[in-house]
Amino acid sequence: MRAVAVACALMALSCGSTGGDTIDFPLAAAGPADAVAGRPLEFSNDKGWHVVLSKATLHIGGVYLNESRPISGGQALECFLEGTYVAQQTSALTVDLLTPALQRFPALMHGTTTPAQVGQVWLTGARIDDTKDRTRILVIEGVADRAGVSKKFLGALRMGANQQLKKGDLPGAFPPCKDRIVAPVDAEITVRPVGGLVLRIDPRKFFGGVDFGALPNGTFSDGSKNTQDTLLSTNLHAAQKGGPYVFEWADDL
Amino acid sequence: MCHESEPGATRSIAKWAACALFLLQAGVASAQATPSAVTPPVVVRHVDPIYPANELASSKHGDVNVLMTIDTEGHVSSAEVAASTDPDLDASALEAARQWQFTPAMRDGVAIPSRIRVPFHFAPPAPDPVVEPAASDLAVAGNTAHEPPRDPEEVHEALHETKASEPLGPEEVLVRGRRAPVSRGASDFDIRVGQLAIIPKANASDFLKLAPGIMLSNEGGEGHAEQVFLRGFDAREGQDIEFSVGGVPINESGNLHGNGYADTHFIIPELVESLRVVEGPFDPRQGNYAVAGSANYELGLDKRGLTAKGTYGSWGTKRLVLTWGPEETTRHTFAGVEAFETDGFGRNRDATRASAMAQYEGKLGGAGSYRILATAYAAQYHSAGVIRADDYKNGRIGFYDSYAQPAFTNEKIAGGGNSSRFSLSWDMDAKYGAVPLTNQIYLIKRGLRSLENFTGFLEDTQDPLQSIHAQRGDMSDLSVDEWTIGSRGSSRFEATVFTQKQTLEFGYFARLDLVKASQQRLQASDGVPYKTEADLDSTLTDIGLYADANIQFQPWLHLRGGPRIDVFSFDINNKCAAKYKGEHLNPNNLPIDASCLTQQDQGRPREANQRLTTSSVALMPRASLIVGPFANVTFSASYGQGVRSLDPIAITQDIKTPFARIHAYEGGASYAHDIRDVSIVARTVAFQTYVDRDIMFDEKQGRNVVGVGTTRTGWLGSIRAIGSFFDESINLTFVRSTYNDSNLLVAYVPDVVLRSDTAFFKELPWSVAGRRPRVALGTGITYVGPRALPLGQRSQNIVTVDAQTTLTWWHYEIGLTATNIFNRQYRLGEYNFASDFHSQPQPTLVPERHFTAGAPRGIFATLAINLGGS
Repeated sequence: MRAVAVACALMALSCGSTGGDTIDFPLAAAGPADAVAGRPLEFSNDKGWHVVLSKATLHIGGVYLNESRPISGGQALECFLEGTYVAQQTSALTVDLLTPALQRFPALMHGTTTPAQVGQVWLTGARIDDTKDRTRILVIEGVADRAGVSKKFLGALRMGANQQLKKGDLPGAFPPCKDRIVAPVDAEITVRPVGGLVLRIDPRKFFGGVDFGALPNGTFSDGSKNTQDTLLSTNLHAAQKGGPYVFEWADDL
Repeated sequence: MCHESEPGATRSIAKWAACALFLLQAGVASAQATPSAVTPPVVVRHVDPIYPANELASSKHGDVNVLMTIDTEGHVSSAEVAASTDPDLDASALEAARQWQFTPAMRDGVAIPSRIRVPFHFAPPAPDPVVEPAASDLAVAGNTAHEPPRDPEEVHEALHETKASEPLGPEEVLVRGRRAPVSRGASDFDIRVGQLAIIPKANASDFLKLAPGIMLSNEGGEGHAEQVFLRGFDAREGQDIEFSVGGVPINESGNLHGNGYADTHFIIPELVESLRVVEGPFDPRQGNYAVAGSANYELGLDKRGLTAKGTYGSWGTKRLVLTWGPEETTRHTFAGVEAFETDGFGRNRDATRASAMAQYEGKLGGAGSYRILATAYAAQYHSAGVIRADDYKNGRIGFYDSYAQPAFTNEKIAGGGNSSRFSLSWDMDAKYGAVPLTNQIYLIKRGLRSLENFTGFLEDTQDPLQSIHAQRGDMSDLSVDEWTIGSRGSSRFEATVFTQKQTLEFGYFARLDLVKASQQRLQASDGVPYKTEADLDSTLTDIGLYADANIQFQPWLHLRGGPRIDVFSFDINNKCAAKYKGEHLNPNNLPIDASCLTQQDQGRPREANQRLTTSSVALMPRASLIVGPFANVTFSASYGQGVRSLDPIAITQDIKTPFARIHAYEGGASYAHDIRDVSIVARTVAFQTYVDRDIMFDEKQGRNVVGVGTTRTGWLGSIRAIGSFFDESINLTFVRSTYNDSNLLVAYVPDVVLRSDTAFFKELPWSVAGRRPRVALGTGITYVGPRALPLGQRSQNIVTVDAQTTLTWWHYEIGLTATNIFNRQYRLGEYNFASDFHSQPQPTLVPERHFTAGAPRGIFATLAINLGGS
């Protein structure tokens, strides 16, 4: 009996934990919840254009969650956040933004139980710093009407070479990853054993401020060649609350 | 060894110095020889002298030197007093001496008469309890691994020599002694390798496993220091253990990889005679880095003559060892050379190394000795690094593979490095008048280049002041160039107070380190350095003083210990002092891509370097209470403080260096006894240690960083049993290591470690050409329980079995060694951290399990030839 007691005491010495846990969970992306699968998305933008969006896909190269919210402008400009990453999805998915149906990424998301604060949506088809990436990230097509004027539009945006570097900038101020990472997206998420993470993307918000009448040839192009291109690109990278991107936890995923 | 003790003498209080000396001598008897190939006599039965009743009133102490002549049958044919202090003590000693029995001295296999000098020390008996003869205590002193608490008067390290004699006349065997440190309790392990030398050992670090609670790991390759875990400490590459060889420090102060980095690969295992491991800071002689404890290798060569030993086996492993021990000298005079080469058990695991060690021991005065030790070592090696568990699980990489290949990182330079070490030391141990003195001086030249990449392509983030770049790779190129000069010494004073002999020792330690250390990052594509992270020139000094008292209240009650004080000074020239990004630099002179800036805010010029000096003092009290033996059991309780000096890179001007300070407490008991012809030593220890500022490895920085406080609580037990045909050592340790602020477990340290070393040896009953072959079989079994990992994870356990068998005949020996005999695939090290080795489409930024592979089964054949030895 005494031996058993001693054995139990010794075993107790080897119990305990370093804290936290790792977990794998599904990640899905979808268009807005009020979209109807198989039907165009109709909406009006703040320039008075009534838009019928008949095609909208977004290629997502990766999704990351981080435990820390950037605390300064300097940190917010970094491609890689200073805090510890708590979840990652390194496989890609091209998301149909016109359906509310959840579209699962091909692999589970890997992470820890540490609560996340912010997320990053990586819009890339190759390694994040590959300047030769020709993947079409955003593909859109539709018709915009205003005051009896109807404009067809389309676009296939790529994220190639650095598009933002301007004269006078420090040489490393705008690496290619800056064009490809949407961050920091609000993501106050605590991973649970049941369910999965959902990234909802609202394509209507890509067209805020866009004047389709000023769009040359009705085509959005890479490289922010005109104001409308720049507006679309800016909207595509809008990470703030109320932007196109929303993270939420779904228990039924 | 002392196989038998006369029962009637159990009340004798005669001390056991004689027996100890004989035992020590016996331990080398088989290998030592006179110029005419004489093997000294070995004690098989001793009888203890009885303290004369008429001396009880005076309670006097006394010493009697007896010259015994031993005939060819092993009997004492005559005994005479060579040196005396009292006639009654003489008579008692002679009466006992005449009853001793020996295995006779041998010359070329033929028994011959011999003469041997045996000192007896007499002390008055303790009234109660009865102090029983501790023959087994002495047996372990001479021959076993786990020595029980030693009395300073009892145990000496023998320096055996023989004098020339007439061919058929008695051989006189004189014994010189070097005083072994007194025991600090149950956690003070004086490990005699003895027959356990047959257990397969990759290098000298493996001897550490004979001490409880030790686990070894190595993620850096064959030339990289072993990572040592001891009693719940992750001592990293020795930063928490004070290592020395023959008293010469091994820890490297100022090594950028980790302050106190200790690489023992330069030690040739065949030259290791014994190892003293003190698990805790309980001896005032222990200095800097003795946080988890200390380990001192003693060198010696039993096999005299010239021995050539060649090994060939798995993975193209080739090893050649030449040792030479001149027969007319002691086992502490030797020379040895080792050459080693292997392709390794997987990609980027090859290594080449060579080591040479030579020592000469000479006489100094009437009873003293001096030793000169020279060592040289050079190695080049590669390291496979870590493997991500998810990549292995998904078949993206093999278990024994490496990321340094085109499929992943296209690294042009694999991990690994170069290592070298040269040292010269001189030490003396002598008695001047009544005062024993020791002194030692040493000079060490050390070089290290270590290439490691734990994180792949993660750390090279784009800085605005850098040209646009992709991730260039995290390969760190760390180099250290160090000169060390130092000395240590002691003197001891003895006096009899209240009828008990008391001793007080004063000692010093002085060390100067001149260190150049730097760390750069290399581009994976071509190995070009693209960033300097650290570049330090350090001048470091450590001067320590200690007092060590051995207060004997009763023969069975000792209080040992005293204070130690160390003064550390730091003079650092940081040649890359300004690394901040500096948004307010001179826009017309931007230091694009510079690692070490020459501007400060607003573009004001500055030099890239900055000098930092500071110093600090550490006072460390230490004490051990030794009670017993009672019925062969000795109890002990110890307390001690230890420190580890801070890394030079963390020094701040005039800020007293914040040491990592440890408080250690423990209580234990040791049992030592002979049961028939089996000598048994068993120990049990409960311990707790508290560290106020622990170190942790930062895989991002590629080196150790200072963390928060930790506490360890645990228990260990060990048994060593030695019989006429076997030698068994087994130890088990449980420990719980927690952070003081959160009570969460400290990651990576094993909380259960079990180790068993077993050797069987026997002469065969038949002869070949008049000589009996001898066979030996040794096995080493290691079990390490699942270790706590970050994020609530547990590692896999480790179970390995190694074995070796040898057949020895005359001058020849053949051996067959199998490591990891069951070919169990195991993870030697496991870690949780973030890395990106380009194994997945996008960067992997979340902490993930990584491991370093343990070696698969290896088979090695050995042939050894001894020329000129007996």
